[in-house]
Amino acid sequence: MTEQAIARETPATRESTTAAISDWAQEVAALAKRWFIELGRERLNLVFSVAQPAIWLIFFGSGIGRAVDRQVIGTSDYTGFTLPGIVAFTVVGGGVAAAMPLMWDKEGGYLDKLMSMPISRSSIIVSRFVYQFVLASFQVAALVVVALLAGVSFELGPFAVVIILVTAGLLSLAVTASFSALAYWVPGHGTFFAITGFITLPLVFMSNAFVPVDALPRWMEIVARLNPLTYAIEAMRLPIIKGWDGDILVALGVLGAFSLACLAVGAQQFNRQTADRVQ
Amino acid sequence: MTAMIEAHALVRSFGSTRAVDDLDLQVEAGEIFGLLGPNGAGKTTTIRILATLLAPSGGTARVCGFDVMTHPQEIRRRIGYVMQKISPTRNLLTGRQCIEMEASLYHVPRREVRARAEELLELVGLLPHADRQFNQYSGGMQKRLDLACGLLHRPQLLILDEPSLGLDVQSRHKVWDYIHDLRRQGVTILLATNYLDEADRLCDRLTIIDRGRVVVTGTPSDLKRAVGADVIQVTTAEPAPLAAAIAGQTWLQRHAVSEAGELHAHVTDAAAALPALMGIAAARSIPLETVTYTRPTLDDVFLLHTGRELREEEVTA
Repeated sequence: MTEQAIARETPATRESTTAAISDWAQEVAALAKRWFIELGRERLNLVFSVAQPAIWLIFFGSGIGRAVDRQVIGTSDYTGFTLPGIVAFTVVGGGVAAAMPLMWDKEGGYLDKLMSMPISRSSIIVSRFVYQFVLASFQVAALVVVALLAGVSFELGPFAVVIILVTAGLLSLAVTASFSALAYWVPGHGTFFAITGFITLPLVFMSNAFVPVDALPRWMEIVARLNPLTYAIEAMRLPIIKGWDGDILVALGVLGAFSLACLAVGAQQFNRQTADRVQ
Repeated sequence: MTAMIEAHALVRSFGSTRAVDDLDLQVEAGEIFGLLGPNGAGKTTTIRILATLLAPSGGTARVCGFDVMTHPQEIRRRIGYVMQKISPTRNLLTGRQCIEMEASLYHVPRREVRARAEELLELVGLLPHADRQFNQYSGGMQKRLDLACGLLHRPQLLILDEPSLGLDVQSRHKVWDYIHDLRRQGVTILLATNYLDEADRLCDRLTIIDRGRVVVTGTPSDLKRAVGADVIQVTTAEPAPLAAAIAGQTWLQRHAVSEAGELHAHVTDAAAALPALMGIAAARSIPLETVTYTRPTLDDVFLLHTGRELREEEVTA
């Protein structure tokens, strides 16, 4: 290629990159709008989705909290201690819900229509993430209100809530991408629910959601330290019960790396499943 | 004319079965081209390859001038695809919301989305029902909405997979009208169907496929002409005098009187022969009871080339 050709091509390339980003944003917005319209038609779904984690928090905080040894958890406030666990639990459950419409579209045939359109392969997953993150934000808001009413004091104040939201976002991205990949990979929804039913609860219990890692039996401790949920919970827990700590950034770094890996795997799996799928 | 679709030696295997087996296809710009065949003949698989949803196992396919394997995104910008299945997963959206979403997915400029959606809802007669939910639409309305959605980005090529499957007669005719209108506007249409009448009435040219292979390609009338003559059947009290009277006419290929006393006249073109035959009968005061004629159908074409009937396959498939 001559230099002139390169010079002529550069502005055009930049223009087409801008256009591609604009197209992608339009796709994500259009798909996310669909998810929100559907949520609007099923308002009870919204009510229960937002109320459920708050009820879990009350249940764990004031019920089980009385049986917990303060020496073990390192604070007298079990509600504050377990709040991040409930957020993580909620986000994981939300990841399963995030992937479901993608599976229905696959089984109903609409995924084929979407795939025949000139859209980026990532926009469907990202639109589900956007939807799921907005829903998670409402859930976190309800949890924070209930926690405040229960007398939880956030050591980092409002900034703790910001860190919780950021963490919930990263975790939401990881689970939405992973479960979407699973939804595209499974032959039918039976397998999807069998697998998600099998892994979600152990994923939460094999973490520091309800018990500090150090207090777990040795083998569970090892599993918990490999479990990305542990890092998400750590990043949310420190700002509530301890205050600012460099470990927050470490935990967020680990979680962020994991989320990007999930997105890469999800997008790759998505490509593979849609490029050469048997009807 | 330029080719809108060019497929050469196309193969697609699923395990050990070859759903598409060495298929060649050439669709010119501006025509309605039919893929006719029984269920399981490989129509949908062929269409899915051309719509960039399925990679071929062998051979090449170019759509709108682009290779399906190397430039799928270019093809997707230029084709509209209307699936056979009507997906229920849009049930909670209104017709307007469905079509506006798809307009955005086709990157219709944001400011034009609403107007474009309305224009196409109007075209398929759904504007009065635009704000009803998808699950309140009848099957025909859902299909028309899908058809409208396939036109949002003004595609060069519209791919229709069984567009009138499961529709009542009225809805079918409406869908056919839109397809004719589109062709008049210069849109090339690839149509897969297992309805003989649909293929016959709509298609400029068609390919009959069976077991993943091309059986024969041509215009419906050429294909039928190749099968043979039209047959005029006449019942009359005096078949013998009538037979004698029409003997030697230029339009007559051969004739016979059946055991039941029916005159069977094999003619080149029944539409031209009928008035002549009836004129001769009237001139000689031979009273006619019934006159019917049968033309070869595409079913006969399929029978001629495969030794099986298309209709049988439809039932047993």
